[in-house]
Amino acid sequence: MVELSLLIHTDLCFGCQACEVACKQENHLGVGPRWIRVIEAGPKEIGGELKMSYIPIRCLHCAKPVCEQTCPTGAIHKRIDGIVVLNADLCTGCKACIEACPFGAPQLNPETKVVGKCTLCVHRIDKGLEPACVAACPTRAIHFGDINRLTELKRKDSANSIFW
Amino acid sequence: MGKNNNGIFSSICQACHMSCGILAHVTDGKITKIEGDSEHPWSQGMICPKGIAYQQVVYHPDRLLHPLMRVGERGENKWQRVSWDEALNHIALKLLEVKEKYGPESIAACCGGNPRRSMPATRFLTESIGSPNWAYSDAFYCWGPHVIAENATYGGRITSDTNIDSCNSECILVWGGNPVHTHTVVARDIMRARARGAKIVVVDPRLTATASKAHIWLQLRPGTDAALALGILNVIMTEGIYDKEFVRRWCTGFEELKGRALSYPPEKASEITGVRAEDIKKVARLYAKAKPACLYLRVGNELIFNSTQSSRAIACLIAITGNIDVKGGNLFPCLPKGTMGRMFYVKKEWRLPDEIEEKRIGAKEFPLLSGPRAPFGLFHTPLLIKAMLTEKPYPIKALIAANNLCVSLPNTREICEALKHLDLLVIYELFMTPTAELADFVLPAATYLEIDELIDRYPNYITARRKIIEPVGECWDELKITDEIVKRMRLKFTPWPELQARGWQGYEDFRLKETGLTFKDIKTGEYVFGPMEYKKYEKNGFGTPSGKVELYSSIFKEFGYDPLPHHVEPFESPTSTPELAKQYPFILITGGRTIAYFHSLGHQVPWLRELVPDPLIEIHPDEAAKLGISDGDWVWVETPRGKGRIKQKAKLTRALHPKVVHSVAHWWYPERFTPDHGLWESNINVLTYSDPPYEPICGTCAMRGLLCKIYKGAEV
Repeated sequence: MVELSLLIHTDLCFGCQACEVACKQENHLGVGPRWIRVIEAGPKEIGGELKMSYIPIRCLHCAKPVCEQTCPTGAIHKRIDGIVVLNADLCTGCKACIEACPFGAPQLNPETKVVGKCTLCVHRIDKGLEPACVAACPTRAIHFGDINRLTELKRKDSANSIFW
Repeated sequence: MGKNNNGIFSSICQACHMSCGILAHVTDGKITKIEGDSEHPWSQGMICPKGIAYQQVVYHPDRLLHPLMRVGERGENKWQRVSWDEALNHIALKLLEVKEKYGPESIAACCGGNPRRSMPATRFLTESIGSPNWAYSDAFYCWGPHVIAENATYGGRITSDTNIDSCNSECILVWGGNPVHTHTVVARDIMRARARGAKIVVVDPRLTATASKAHIWLQLRPGTDAALALGILNVIMTEGIYDKEFVRRWCTGFEELKGRALSYPPEKASEITGVRAEDIKKVARLYAKAKPACLYLRVGNELIFNSTQSSRAIACLIAITGNIDVKGGNLFPCLPKGTMGRMFYVKKEWRLPDEIEEKRIGAKEFPLLSGPRAPFGLFHTPLLIKAMLTEKPYPIKALIAANNLCVSLPNTREICEALKHLDLLVIYELFMTPTAELADFVLPAATYLEIDELIDRYPNYITARRKIIEPVGECWDELKITDEIVKRMRLKFTPWPELQARGWQGYEDFRLKETGLTFKDIKTGEYVFGPMEYKKYEKNGFGTPSGKVELYSSIFKEFGYDPLPHHVEPFESPTSTPELAKQYPFILITGGRTIAYFHSLGHQVPWLRELVPDPLIEIHPDEAAKLGISDGDWVWVETPRGKGRIKQKAKLTRALHPKVVHSVAHWWYPERFTPDHGLWESNINVLTYSDPPYEPICGTCAMRGLLCKIYKGAEV
């Protein structure tokens, strides 16, 4: 089973927001919808030190998407490769998915009056390219691929960091 | 190059100074997408929001497309579209009249830090006319102080954005800058260095994006950079952990510097700066013992009242640790042999005769900024602005500017007033701005995607910024504008016969003439590399009077300045003016950069404005609570000497010391078409100062380390 996904190493994200604007350019989005958005978290005192992090928030392409279950028109479905896609032609803009998603991923597009969300740049993937946010990230903080492979890589990184 | 074709073409971005490689997708002669170019030797595919969003600059509905002539009163924003010929004829005639009546020096030209070809374009205009009054107008507080300090110390520059070899460094000291937002490629390199174990130290009053990734963050009190650097020098010198061999062979004045540093023990430096003494010691040992280490120095250290001397202290720090021009340290450039770098014309051999340079505004007051012996020779902007108003020391009657002075420089009110006094104001621009609104003529400039240009960049290559599309509307290359003006004045493009013969179209070939290459050779998108050499001083010594690194500066001594670096308390601070600080309790820093904008540029670009929609003032939540200010409230800001007040939106954050607030600078509202584009509402430079006291060497007006008060009650 393939389950395509993004995996973000937040330690490498320094909040430049190139992913946000690259996503907009790729998906022809105007002002309003931000399918990936970097949130500045903190600064907050942790262990006597002031810490600040940048967390890119986007659709997580859930294994059991609540947005899909909630959508009354069947506009949302999870593909066999794991990508959760939204068919704008079927969307009525009822916002049930916005209400259901715990991450705020689906967003109403003020121009089209229907909901949009991250597609993992499925049109690029089909051409063998990386999603736009992945390609634009200067620190390679955003990884793309089958979640099982990404998890394996993360295990290796983790082992290395413990070893050193 | 791909003018009306379809395809993907490479060029060099100019959304800021970094010059990253880009790929522009073109359909029917129109740019549809901009991506990073993985073939670029430095950026390697990296791109930032400003770079991606540049297509929204090129095709913005408000972009200036035709020359405009003022028909209403100055500032009324009433214009008539005119032909290039008509505009240029009027301008040339008026310039001749001013030159005849008041002398060539009454005509000034300037550019800002704007990333366009404005710098040579405005410079050549004054050279042709024979006026000494040209400047990169922000230099007296940005770029100028460290260039003066480093020239006096080493005879060259080594701390700029492109001179640090972080990729090969074991310790990177980021001083007064936030490269994540300003030089994202540098920040990326720092992250790579960190991943392989290099230590990162950030000196900044704010916990910036860069500081959030550092191993050590030194939160100093604004304006006390020299005391911190001297405290670090003290530790390194007293513990004997400096590079003894380098100091012995290549430095003069070590004992004198040590004598000065001894008066800044870490405990005293701590008292002045607010940084803990143990942290000063820790950083001193880390930086001195890491071999090699590099230091990235930015305007946090320059927008302060002690700008030049603090840059000198830092220059000495780099020297005694032996990090000059070594792999992983701070580098002198090594471009392909014979290349004339992009600012070659500030060098002595290309400048006007001394007797003309002596007339430059500021030459008497700040000879190392404005005099014939200054490393670049630029007017002092506040004094030039005052000369427009007072006609002292002589009248300034015409200005050709390629920047947005009213927004970007201190004391907006005075600048607007002064510009209204001119007989002629001409602006080269992409958009109508609050400054352009005061002009007689506004001339539409081309963007980087519409012109060809030679690029020389870090650390050792040249390449072509290639024209991708035809200029939109009637926009022109700024060199062409200048050429067409001077031609109509019956003058030559430059006073240099060789470039005169080539004309403005031959400018790139002129810069390459000693290399054996022509622009055509590299226009294919080639990168031509110079050999990567280190310790170049071993061949020729340093470009100082002694040929060595001058820790005790003979140039400063000659000009009557302290030859050793020292700390000066900010002229307004809780320490120097305690009574004033009761009324104005916050220490104000202005103009920390955001990822979205380059100085005053980009506020009209939808994808960028969305990232930073409002002018923010950062306040510590504990202090905000005392004032009843909540996150997102619009608040009023006042300074002791600024007239009036401005409003900004409060962002509550623990990134600052409770007594320090940070106000975003360069704010204007391009979307408001009423005259002045909301210039007076939220622009912090309405409240900054252009009057003395000036920093004595570079003439800096402090814009960080002032006092202010904040109160609620402003409406949107």
